[in-house]
Amino acid sequence: MSGKPVLESLRPEDFKAAVRRLAGLLDASSVVNLESCVRCGLCAESCHYYLDDGDLRSIPAAKLNLVIRVFKRYLSPGGRILRGWTGARDFDAAEVREWIDSLYGRCTLCGRCALNCTMGINIPAIVRKGRGVLASMGLVPDGLSSTVDLARDTGNNMGISKVEWVETVAWLEEELQAETGDPSARLPMDARGADFLYLVNPREPKFYPLTLTAAAKIFHAAGASWTLSSDFFDVTNYAFFSGDDSIAALISRRAKEAAEKLDVKALVLSECGHGFGSNRWEAPEWLAEKTGFEVKSVLQVVTGYIREGRIRLDPARNAKTVTLHDPCRLVRMGGIVEEQRFILRQAVKDFIEMTPNREQNYCCGGGGGQLSMTDYTARRRSAGRTKSEQIRRTQARVVATPCHNCLDQLAELNKHHKLGVVVKSVLELAAEAVVLGPPRTGGG
Amino acid sequence: MNALRWGVLAAGLISLGALTFIVLKALSRRHPPFFAAPQGRASSGIAYALGRGLLPWEKESARLHLAVYIGGFVYHSGIFAGFGILIVLAVGVPLSPFVWTVLRVASAAGLTAGLGLLGKRIVKSHARRLSVPDDYGANIFVDIFLAGALAASFGPGLVPVLFGYSIFLLLYIPLGKIRHCFFFFLSRISFGRFFGRRGALPPLKPERER
Repeated sequence: MSGKPVLESLRPEDFKAAVRRLAGLLDASSVVNLESCVRCGLCAESCHYYLDDGDLRSIPAAKLNLVIRVFKRYLSPGGRILRGWTGARDFDAAEVREWIDSLYGRCTLCGRCALNCTMGINIPAIVRKGRGVLASMGLVPDGLSSTVDLARDTGNNMGISKVEWVETVAWLEEELQAETGDPSARLPMDARGADFLYLVNPREPKFYPLTLTAAAKIFHAAGASWTLSSDFFDVTNYAFFSGDDSIAALISRRAKEAAEKLDVKALVLSECGHGFGSNRWEAPEWLAEKTGFEVKSVLQVVTGYIREGRIRLDPARNAKTVTLHDPCRLVRMGGIVEEQRFILRQAVKDFIEMTPNREQNYCCGGGGGQLSMTDYTARRRSAGRTKSEQIRRTQARVVATPCHNCLDQLAELNKHHKLGVVVKSVLELAAEAVVLGPPRTGGG
Repeated sequence: MNALRWGVLAAGLISLGALTFIVLKALSRRHPPFFAAPQGRASSGIAYALGRGLLPWEKESARLHLAVYIGGFVYHSGIFAGFGILIVLAVGVPLSPFVWTVLRVASAAGLTAGLGLLGKRIVKSHARRLSVPDDYGANIFVDIFLAGALAASFGPGLVPVLFGYSIFLLLYIPLGKIRHCFFFFLSRISFGRFFGRRGALPPLKPERER
């Protein structure tokens, strides 16, 4: 287990400090949640980990109960008086080991359990509080902590230098011009006063540059006023997964400052589930301030272009049957539900839903920082079984998803569970269907 | 008898006071303001959480465990009926035979459901391993109360027993799991507000293929 040497060197006062950290993290709604669980266990089948391994520790209530029993032991009068009776537990090394394994290793913070909890307990919010306690003790699993550290130290989670970023964009601009046959096609950099600043997943310039070109092609077709920033381009925020609010706020601050520096009207977020959640929903809370600009998903922007007739899509260009995977942080926890469907219905010939879908979708297993926590790779791949079966049942040839973490996980599931599908982003499919030329007028 | 009656009243007030204190203590923790602009309406989410969102067809967990869901509903209805019997006997309100019948049937059904849920917790391996002593205790204490309320509603001689036991139960409620009843609505409201603001619940668009 990563973090083990640190755990073994912890002193009693470190555990006391961690309990104080827990007390500090718990707001009113957290305590209401902790007081509400009746351990009915009805949440079990809502979790893709439990569906895969049937392990008691994978039941959401069991993960929640880890935090509850420490809360009871130190922060609840009933638990302090009737310790054994209420299941209150000391926060010691053995307990912390269970926390690490379950809160980091058996949860993607997907929130499906919250939706299916009889009491309505926001279980992922509590799991993240638990992660926050572990982060304060320096016990974030290695892969995740190094990803967070890299983002903190270099400005993006892949350590891409400013020179590399600017050169990649310049190269992609040439590619776009060649593809569109239009020398005016641009990937604008540091264009002050543009309508929006576009943030991307560092995975795009590093490994999948064509997804960035796909977005640029759509923006070009729509005649959009947009820009990239040479200072900051990373839509991700892995501190959301590690539970470290101070680093999460630091990363969020950079995005805000980049938008303010360029004086844009909106911050538009590339296809990234937790990137959307972090920038749209969490950043203002971490920074404790409102943003002076809109924060939107690129899916909302592209939907607007289609509806306004600014772009036209030819579904015949995507003739294979396409199904859609709903990223949890974008859909269930983010409220972006219909836009991706609208785009796909315009962009592909044959679109088929998975069952269940939308807010009841199953997590693919790639969220919660799982892709960076190599300690749990085998568990992650196995836990994707439910999603794989969903995909197989659709008999689709293409799986679309508007999230780069989901794309990575689905690509692995494709191999691991022998699905025989092609995994693409929603924008890639939209870009393939874009009809270049004079924009159509009227509704789309 | 009068002393027991006053005892029930005093225990009820102590219990209510302690529960109010516990809830207020929880609510006195910080309420971080929402800085992110809402996408949906918190009020719509709360209305969903306290209404349609409780229905079994809205919740996969309830659909998969329909018997437990119904059992839980019947159990909690029975508990309300049991407390109804206690209040009626303690205050001495005359009731029509029909209302007595409703209270007795609901209590009996609640007791049956409670025992069923207890049995499930004991028999099912995961439920057993997930449980703490308080989970069994809370169920057993309430089941005994329901049996007592039902018996006392038929036999006046058992009323002092019910009163005596109710004093214990009322004083126990703030200490253990049963206090979740005071947090249920708060938890559902918090849930509805969270998902409502984000526009995730209730679904914004009516057209949905499942």
